[in-house]
Amino acid sequence: MLIVDSLSKSFDKGKSFALKEVSFKLAQGDVCAIVGESGSGKTTLVRLIAGLERPDGGSIILDGKEVSSIKKLVAPEKRNIGLVFQEYALFPHFDLLKNVMYGISKLKNKKARAKEMLELVGLSGMEHRYPHQLSGGQQQRVALARALAPNPSLLILDEPFSNLDAMLRMQLRSQVFEIIKKTGVTAIFVTHDTQDALSVADEILILQNGKIIQKDQPANLYIKPSSIYVASLFGNTIQLNKEMQTAFDCPLNPKCDHAIRNENLSINEECEYVTHARVLKKTFLGTGTQLLLKLDNGQKISVVTKEREVADRIKIGFNSTDLLEFTG
Amino acid sequence: MKQAGSSDIFSLKARLNRLKRDTNRWSVLTLAIVGFIALPIISIGVKLFAGPGETWGHLVDNLLVDYIGNSFFLVFFCSLLVLLFGVSSAWLVSRFEFPFRKQLEWLLILPLAIPSYIVAYAYAGIFDYGGSLELLLRVFDIDFFRIDMMNKFGLAFVLSISLFPYVYVSSRAFFLNQAGNLLEASTMLGIGEFKSFFKLILPLARPAIIAGLILVLMEVLNDYGAAQYFGVNTFTTGIFRAWFALEEPETAIYLSALLIAIVFALILFEKWQRKNQQVASQKASKFSHRKEFRKPAQWLIFFVVLIPVSFGFFIPLAQLIYWAVLTAGNVFDFDFLLLSLQSFWIAFVTAVVTVIFATLLIYFAKWSSINTVKSISKLGILGYAIPGAVVAIGIMIPTLALDKWIIGIMNDYFGISAGLLINGSLVALVYAYAVRFLAVAYNPIESTGLKVSKSIPDSSRMLGMGNFRTFLRVEFPLIKTGILSAIILVFIDVMKELPLTLILKPFHINTLAVKAFEYASDEMVMEAAIPSLFIIFTAAIPVIFLNRLLIKD
Amino acid sequence: MKKTLIGLLALTLMFSCKNSEEKNTEDQESKEVNVYTHRHYESDQELFKQFEEETGIKVNVINASADELIQKMSMEGEQSPADVLITVDAGRLERAKSRDLLQSIESEVLENTIASHLKDQDNHWFSLTKRARVIAYAKDRVNPEELSTYEDLASEKWNGKLLVRSSGNIYNQSLMASLIVNNGEEEAKKWAEAVVENMARSPKGNDRDQVKAVVAGEGDLAIVNTYYIGKLLNSDDPEEVKAGEKVGLFFPNQDGRGTHINVSGAGVARYAPNKENAIKFIEFLVSEEAQKIFAHSNYEYPVNEAVEPAALLQEWGDFKEDTLNLSQLGQNNKKAVMLFDEAGWK
Repeated sequence: MLIVDSLSKSFDKGKSFALKEVSFKLAQGDVCAIVGESGSGKTTLVRLIAGLERPDGGSIILDGKEVSSIKKLVAPEKRNIGLVFQEYALFPHFDLLKNVMYGISKLKNKKARAKEMLELVGLSGMEHRYPHQLSGGQQQRVALARALAPNPSLLILDEPFSNLDAMLRMQLRSQVFEIIKKTGVTAIFVTHDTQDALSVADEILILQNGKIIQKDQPANLYIKPSSIYVASLFGNTIQLNKEMQTAFDCPLNPKCDHAIRNENLSINEECEYVTHARVLKKTFLGTGTQLLLKLDNGQKISVVTKEREVADRIKIGFNSTDLLEFTG
Repeated sequence: MKQAGSSDIFSLKARLNRLKRDTNRWSVLTLAIVGFIALPIISIGVKLFAGPGETWGHLVDNLLVDYIGNSFFLVFFCSLLVLLFGVSSAWLVSRFEFPFRKQLEWLLILPLAIPSYIVAYAYAGIFDYGGSLELLLRVFDIDFFRIDMMNKFGLAFVLSISLFPYVYVSSRAFFLNQAGNLLEASTMLGIGEFKSFFKLILPLARPAIIAGLILVLMEVLNDYGAAQYFGVNTFTTGIFRAWFALEEPETAIYLSALLIAIVFALILFEKWQRKNQQVASQKASKFSHRKEFRKPAQWLIFFVVLIPVSFGFFIPLAQLIYWAVLTAGNVFDFDFLLLSLQSFWIAFVTAVVTVIFATLLIYFAKWSSINTVKSISKLGILGYAIPGAVVAIGIMIPTLALDKWIIGIMNDYFGISAGLLINGSLVALVYAYAVRFLAVAYNPIESTGLKVSKSIPDSSRMLGMGNFRTFLRVEFPLIKTGILSAIILVFIDVMKELPLTLILKPFHINTLAVKAFEYASDEMVMEAAIPSLFIIFTAAIPVIFLNRLLIKD
Repeated sequence: MKKTLIGLLALTLMFSCKNSEEKNTEDQESKEVNVYTHRHYESDQELFKQFEEETGIKVNVINASADELIQKMSMEGEQSPADVLITVDAGRLERAKSRDLLQSIESEVLENTIASHLKDQDNHWFSLTKRARVIAYAKDRVNPEELSTYEDLASEKWNGKLLVRSSGNIYNQSLMASLIVNNGEEEAKKWAEAVVENMARSPKGNDRDQVKAVVAGEGDLAIVNTYYIGKLLNSDDPEEVKAGEKVGLFFPNQDGRGTHINVSGAGVARYAPNKENAIKFIEFLVSEEAQKIFAHSNYEYPVNEAVEPAALLQEWGDFKEDTLNLSQLGQNNKKAVMLFDEAGWK
């Protein structure tokens, strides 16, 4: 239902690109996460889809209709896309009911619909409060209700949880996606937090420097990351360079890069490849302990273990099934 | 397409395609407004090509050095004095608690309500032979010591004392809203209050202060009445001399162009300043509380802050009231009341019209998707840099052409002989005011607009509202204070405006400023007091109101 | 958008029709006269009212400086609504004439009332009132016997004693123009240079301020207009009256060409839409009743010889006036300004 074709955008007349020839497709009812560090172009991408930015090249097709290209631009208000902003962007001078009714002013039963939406997000009874009287999480849900009220064909959430603290975030994340699943709307959400992405998305799209570097289902992405960069996005990863390979005595294909995830390293257990190391420093993390190790060949690495008590000298190793291999 | 890359995307054809795509009615309307505002300026600019008049050489030989020297002298000394008065008082009222602080906070803006040429007359009257000071000293049996105000030092003093509130307002806004954390952090590091102010606060406040200072300097360079009375030759008196005494508009235009170049240099300097500010700008942080010294020290601060208020407002006001009492019988009658009302409503209508133009310009430019158009839209505010008399002539050129065109059409097609339509009507006058004061309205609206997060209008558009409805329903309610401030500022400026009004005002219509000038130019300075007081009165009330807005904001 | 444009256009047309109708009726039997004037005295307002009452012709006034009015008229061209231009000096009237902004009129009344040197040879403009540019001296320090002519002000004995306003002032320009005509350009420039040498201070303030400075002892002599002395002596401020009483007036060049006078005057605009009314208006202004008001409220000398000057002016006594035709002053005005600049007269 959404086709993005070699979309490009530059903010400095081509000296550098915020987005360069990005292409992907999205099917009806899917929830897609766009993951990237800040500056990777993810916000630019959704703003282009929303029609708030104008592409320098490429096109966007929404529901079979071209909405953005270098010759044509459908105004954002005519795209039927709902957008939840990072800072919620509630209208401070309207109460909640008016905020939610804003996008459906042409509907006959707008009041009923707005109340229904507020109920959906669990805020019924607060219709006449003003945004500044709400907590961050409540504002987030109002923003969602407001975006969903006009029944958008596509819902975009831009960094929806980044302004919330960890506890609230987990709670709200499940609530929000429950609501999204309930309404069955096609959704794109932008995040720099891979946990958000892994837990709720049907599909994840990784952006780096304005380019898509991988697009896959969450499980595939985790198991078969296309680069060490992608791998490291989903958890602490240790690169296996030449020296490391010697340390563990595991000669690998020299044409490929290899890495091993931190959680696949075992301490003092039997594995295919092992080496010994001296613990230089232990940092207690609560859920585990961070260790700074000096391998026998002199390599220094940092790993996290669930163990609380760790001896000063340990055996460390991994199995070949856990190896990550990146071609080219 | 795949291997195309940047070269293809930025090929001429692609650029043209995008330009076509991005050209919307807002771009066109923005350019239309800029064109409308710039028309008089362009009309004058075109005349530059005709070359200067024959006295240009004479002027360069005999006077130009004097004009440049005096103008730079004024720029330099006024900057010093204005910074001294404006910044110190702004810091004291925003950082310390002292008796009558709240009252002084708005009293410090009031000097703006008195036109600077009136302040000049008042000071000349005070230090005159047989003037108020002499009378006062006589009461105490002290020998008269005379301070000669009527020279360039006196002029610098008078202009500074009547214009420093621009700097006061802009720097106070910074101190009140931005300086809190900074000072706290700095004092936590054990750096003293005094040192923190000079080493930390002042450099960060610089862009805000400079913004106010630029406005002051434009007014200083544009001053005619005060400089002329004090016998100081400046660019602006030179423009009048060349235009009228030497009968050479061409030469006057050359002088104007030189003046405008100086002003533009100042503006560019300020823009550059602001660019730096954006990097340094930070979240609002107010002082948690004002510092309270013991009573004697508090009174000391009170007296320090009272100095600029007294010199800028109370002393000239007292002199004007004294004159007003002497002349009340001659000046005050029913016609005068009528004239006051006329002034008032012209200023009000102009303020509203100008603010509408400024708002449209700002928002049309915002809605336009072409960056060049956005940059061009900024040209609309340059009218403020151009002397009122020059703007007036600039307005006459195109409006007369239009009038003559209409007259021609009326004659040819309808056989009616029509008179001048626009020229000599309120329309031309209001047009001229709008050209001159658009910048005054533009700044407060733009800056409150910047405080509204970009995502607010964006989310309105995502909810199906077009630009215009978004503005009416969401943005307008959120920038109301800026709009109101803009209306007040333009109102005050129009109430005070002189040379432009003199040239363009229609029959049957008069303003208080013109009335005051008529008296003064006929050597009836005393009689000018009552209209001046009316100007001050009608301007002071909105000023006080404005202060409330600024503080709330 | 289009609708608004069309609406605007329609509105403009409506307005113009309205305006032109008015104009048409004016042509037939106009009841208006439009006056561009640099004079803005209360007494003038009274006069205009009186004219309205007597004739039923409404007087519309634009007050501004003559320079601006002339600029305005020349830009308005044929469409100018101005009927009458009034200035406070002959120089500006002459300039208006040279720019073809005035027209010659025939009026027996004006012809008979106004002396020939007080009007334009081609009847483009006529004087309304006269002021003499005289020397005000400190009664306690200066013996009037020492005073003689304008030329004498350049002599060394007045070094550091002379007070005069800036050269931007038209009365100084007219005086200079008269010196150029009478003594030649070179002499005039020398004179200006010597006067600058003799100045007690750099020129500033207005004529009244010069008198006050004399009283305060800053200098001994001031070049001023009679009319301002009158104002000073009748000021609302008692201090000004005192100042006025401490100076004596001297009419220079009585043994030669006479004291320099400048005038305020009026002319009928080249494209006056209400020409007849304009002539009536000017005739009214030189009539005895109007001249009396000029003379008595404003301390100016009437141009209508049938009218006596104000009592105060009579006290100062009769004087011989320079009968140089005022047109020549206007013709030399620009030259005067340039010589001032060269002489360093600010």
